[in-house]
Amino acid sequence: MRFNLRLIGNILGLLLFLNGSFILLCIPFSIYYNEPWLPILASGLITSAAGAVLWYLTKKNKNKELRKKDGYLIVTLGWFFMSLFGTLPFVLSGAIPDFTDAFFETISGFTTTGASILTDIESTPKGILFWRSLTQWIGGMGIIVLAVAILPLLGIGGMQLFIAEAPGISPDKMKPRIKDVAKRLWLIYLGLTFAETLLLMAGGMTFFDSINHGLTTMATGGFSTKNASVAHYDSAYIQYVIIAFMFLAGTNFTITYYGLKGKFRKVWENEEFRMYIIIVSLLAVIISFFVFSHDWAGFEKSFRDSLFQVVSVITTTGYVTADYTTWAPFVTIIFFLLMFLGASAGSTAGGIKVVRHTLLFKNSFLEMKRQLHPSAVIPVRLNNSAVSRDITYNVLAFVMIYLLTFSVGVFLISFTGEDFNTTLGAVATTLGNIGPGLGEVGPVNNFASITPFGKWVLSFLMLLGRLELFTVLILFNPNFWKKY
Amino acid sequence: MRIIIAGAGDVGFHLAKLLAYEEQDIILIDKDANTLKQASQNLDVGTIKGSSTSYKILDEAGIQNADLLIAVTSSEETNLTTAIIGKYLGAKRTVARIENVEYLLNKEKLDLKELGIDEIISPESLAAKEIKRLLKEIALTDTFDFDEGKLSLIGVNVDGNSPIAGKTLIETAHLNPNHNFVTVAILRNNETIIPRGETAFMQGDHAYFITQPDGVDRVLSLSGKRKQGVKNIMILGGSKVGFHAAKRLSRKFNVKLIESNKEKCFEFADQLKNVMVINGDGRDVDLLEEEGIQEMDAFIAVTGNSETNIISCLVAKNHDVKKTVSLVENIDYIHLSQNIGVDTMINKKLIAANFIFRYIRQGDVINLTSIHGVDAEILEFIVKAESKITEKMVRDMEFPKEAIIGGVVRNGVGYTAMGDFQFRPKDRVVVLCRPQCIHAVESYFM
Repeated sequence: MRFNLRLIGNILGLLLFLNGSFILLCIPFSIYYNEPWLPILASGLITSAAGAVLWYLTKKNKNKELRKKDGYLIVTLGWFFMSLFGTLPFVLSGAIPDFTDAFFETISGFTTTGASILTDIESTPKGILFWRSLTQWIGGMGIIVLAVAILPLLGIGGMQLFIAEAPGISPDKMKPRIKDVAKRLWLIYLGLTFAETLLLMAGGMTFFDSINHGLTTMATGGFSTKNASVAHYDSAYIQYVIIAFMFLAGTNFTITYYGLKGKFRKVWENEEFRMYIIIVSLLAVIISFFVFSHDWAGFEKSFRDSLFQVVSVITTTGYVTADYTTWAPFVTIIFFLLMFLGASAGSTAGGIKVVRHTLLFKNSFLEMKRQLHPSAVIPVRLNNSAVSRDITYNVLAFVMIYLLTFSVGVFLISFTGEDFNTTLGAVATTLGNIGPGLGEVGPVNNFASITPFGKWVLSFLMLLGRLELFTVLILFNPNFWKKY
Repeated sequence: MRIIIAGAGDVGFHLAKLLAYEEQDIILIDKDANTLKQASQNLDVGTIKGSSTSYKILDEAGIQNADLLIAVTSSEETNLTTAIIGKYLGAKRTVARIENVEYLLNKEKLDLKELGIDEIISPESLAAKEIKRLLKEIALTDTFDFDEGKLSLIGVNVDGNSPIAGKTLIETAHLNPNHNFVTVAILRNNETIIPRGETAFMQGDHAYFITQPDGVDRVLSLSGKRKQGVKNIMILGGSKVGFHAAKRLSRKFNVKLIESNKEKCFEFADQLKNVMVINGDGRDVDLLEEEGIQEMDAFIAVTGNSETNIISCLVAKNHDVKKTVSLVENIDYIHLSQNIGVDTMINKKLIAANFIFRYIRQGDVINLTSIHGVDAEILEFIVKAESKITEKMVRDMEFPKEAIIGGVVRNGVGYTAMGDFQFRPKDRVVVLCRPQCIHAVESYFM
């Protein structure tokens, strides 16, 4: 099978053009805050122009058919080129002069990880900070989902791209046409971002900070405009608003859609959603009890800090209100394990996802029963119906590959000379798209001190995590490139 | 009454037989000439060869004046179409046999009456219901409740341990001073006996009683049985009957279902949440032992093959399963059940035919049931002020010899009707009678 190179180039061109337009959105902030806006204009124009040229050159394609393979290639290449051109504002403005650093920051944005190399965020130009937040917002719901939603030409092949960018156990489609699904997802996403921005402004945040936090919360990204992250705002209201929206962002958007339409039965019947709520509340209570008993500042504050950190890590957002690594060793271990949990499938969160854990847990339990009744047919049940063996195998493989990738990542990062905690934390947090890790890359530190080699490895891990392994790793499989 | 039956298969044939006793005008429509020939030779019915969905054929059958059109071919689509067309052409009432139970479950949303189908029946679903009824009490071979259990019909096997073996009904009555049950029928060597006072129970008899709620224990003790509940059930065969039975039974019992088709197994495991589905051949005794057949209280064989069902029931009996139920296609096998050791054999077509028969009798008779293998019907009447028997005593009413009064429900309390019992309006009377004299019995309650 041959790749449809013209169509691939055409779509990549469109994605870059979109990306360039997003960069131009930062200019008003630069002008308002009296910062040099030329570098941003230049970055936007270069990106859009590159996209437009690529689109124009590949315009005359008769073959409109997009196959699975093309889909994987477009998504991976698309994300790579977007990150590449996304570094332009950082580099040209001089905010992050080093290319490796800029690339790390950009891909950390697009993959909604939120791991930063900036040591003094508050002194960075506002226009650049807005672009940094915007990368997360674009990456959160996915630029290809956006392209499917607004561009008419992706009608037929849209499904292939959609699956490749927003993989996982496919949720029930809320609308028969993929374009309508993508449209609704983005509308909910946009609406919630807007709502959060307003609520934060009502709590006394400036418009600029509100919109930035709105963008990065809904993307479960975690880039903040303050050095101290959300801990900067010593307001219970602001922190609870952010907790609520992080939780929503970690909820399957299809479930949110049903919730908004008033179909609460459907929401509650979703097993993953129930598990998600149970895990979050259980852990928050246990940890807050512990934090409180070790004379933290009052019960409400202990509860709020614990809940905030639990939600922040589970939803892979990565905001910080308290340094969980200083609470106690066993709490640190809990947070380390939480990095592998991830929130709901079909949300903007990264990680393994609650539904996969649920499935695996049930399957492991049933495996014992299967040993006792070798000829019985005992499928795993999820949301009250049996899950086919294929899906169970796929989930098993996913988790296996996830852990394998984690091991390989740890092995590679260990060469950079980081200590044990830092290595494990850095790999787990980038693969899970969370942000803060342990040790030298913990909640109050950042990734500036990692070697360039380490940064490239971590960048790759972030991309792997965001696209849920298969989409990227499949390109490294020889079978992918075979013509027959 | 003019009754048109579309489809002369087992359901249609049995139904025609039941109705022919009643001296009704029956016309059978079928595509197969041989089937029709057999029917016209054995039954007093008219036959027409052709498709029941054809206007010409229905017209020829006299659809304009038909009181009832019963569509019971093997095809659901044909039945629905026949009923709809038939109603449009003038049939007063229509009945269609279906396979898709969704129609039964969503009666409010999908009103088939609007389309012209007055009643729908699903033999599979009825058979599953029947199986559930049979498992209510293992020691009993059959149970049927009237008026929510105010009176029950129960069947037991009389064996060497039974104190009543060898005793006449009068002698038995002395053992039961409360008179809380009445013996209504005895099945002996495939022959149905309507017992009189001097009839004696014999070893090997299958006896049926109408009892008050407190009489069940007495019947069990007199027949030397112990009361036993059901807990574990094994169902063999993932047929439609098996599926429906598993679904109904799994709400109360532990159910294991054995099916040989792997895909079917997965589908069942998907839909039957509380059933353990086993993939394997039910004839494999090792498998049955592995899955604990010896622990089962009941074994239900409902594969598509009658012989497999019967043999596997015998295997289950051999492993001390107390209650075995087998689905058989061949109606003639049903009478063999007692002789070969299968507790109950059921035939879904027979059940369906009886159900339709009951539907037709609606109005005069409020309830009607039949017992497997017994050549008699159980009817339930309401006594009216103008009825012949009102204010009469049981012993004075010269009831047909082929019928027997089982009991009466008055003001929500069940009574067994002894000789000095006097009927009053609004009494609900349970009667057992042979098919031939249903009409005669009916006249007493007019």
